[in-house]
Amino acid sequence: MSVKIKLHRSLAKLADGQAVVEVNGNTVGRCLEQMSARFPKLKKRLFEKDGALSRILEIYVNGESIYPDELATVVKDGDELDTVVRISGG
Amino acid sequence: MLSKEQLERYSRQILINGFGEEGQAKLKRAKVFIAGVGGLGSVTATYLAAAGVGVIRIVDHDKVELSNLNRQILHRAEDIGKKKVDSAAKRLKSINPEVKIEAVAEKMTEANISELVTGFDLIVDAMDNLPTRYLLNKIAIDKEIPFFHGAVNGFEGRAMTIIPGQTACLRCVYRGAVVEGSFPVVGVTPGVIGCIQATEVIKYLLGAGQLLGNRLLVYDGLNMKFTQFKVKRDPNCQHCGALKDKN
Repeated sequence: MSVKIKLHRSLAKLADGQAVVEVNGNTVGRCLEQMSARFPKLKKRLFEKDGALSRILEIYVNGESIYPDELATVVKDGDELDTVVRISGG
Repeated sequence: MLSKEQLERYSRQILINGFGEEGQAKLKRAKVFIAGVGGLGSVTATYLAAAGVGVIRIVDHDKVELSNLNRQILHRAEDIGKKKVDSAAKRLKSINPEVKIEAVAEKMTEANISELVTGFDLIVDAMDNLPTRYLLNKIAIDKEIPFFHGAVNGFEGRAMTIIPGQTACLRCVYRGAVVEGSFPVVGVTPGVIGCIQATEVIKYLLGAGQLLGNRLLVYDGLNMKFTQFKVKRDPNCQHCGALKDKN
């Protein structure tokens, strides 16, 4: 079981510069938890204080939106997650 | 019917297969609402005016500041302290005197947004904050007006086209807030994203090509990479959930 998480540039900085992290969780939530256990600095950027997904983060699985139930979304071997930080400047 | 001068002004785009004089006439009949004439709005307004859109309403309550000039290409050093809509209208008229520019120096609020957008064929989201984007998204859904979203930060940008009842809206894909305030940006980024928004508007008006509906286009200028993510309508969306599916 291997799931690749592609990190937004601002997140990769907090993961020792790694652009891609491999994990083996069976849900998006578990995958993100595994990653933040490995790179504790990521935790605050991935999750709100109550454990919900960060309000400024978007997660796509194999290029598709999984909003609004991101953390509960089931993933399988070979899936790829994109982490995208929401922006709003004009 | 296009005049001799119009035929010459727009001759290069009229040459495009599927554009023609008929397409030009469609642009001329169009009424476009542009929310914000900052980085994105400067670019979309410039290209839509140059393309010959009939009426462009620009709405922005800000005044020009020195720190705007790295990216807000409709404004000049001599405009500092003036209303953005006034300097924008002046430049747009000089680009294309045939286009009717309506300059509105008002803050968009729940109280006035309905009146402001009434009668317009589409709305361009060129704002710099999420609350106003949501306000525009909601009124676009309520009045079933196509909505052209764009946003930038640093070397990154994104764009998405919303056709009410047919595609995901902003609220179908965005949970909530972002960090607001002064955001970092280099002028070329709204240049790229504003051009994409203007392209989408022109395609929509012509009925040409495939719009960025149900697709979020994310631009990474540092790696010069465009990525598309599939998005879909949320049946429980706070804004468009009650709108009947028109596909």
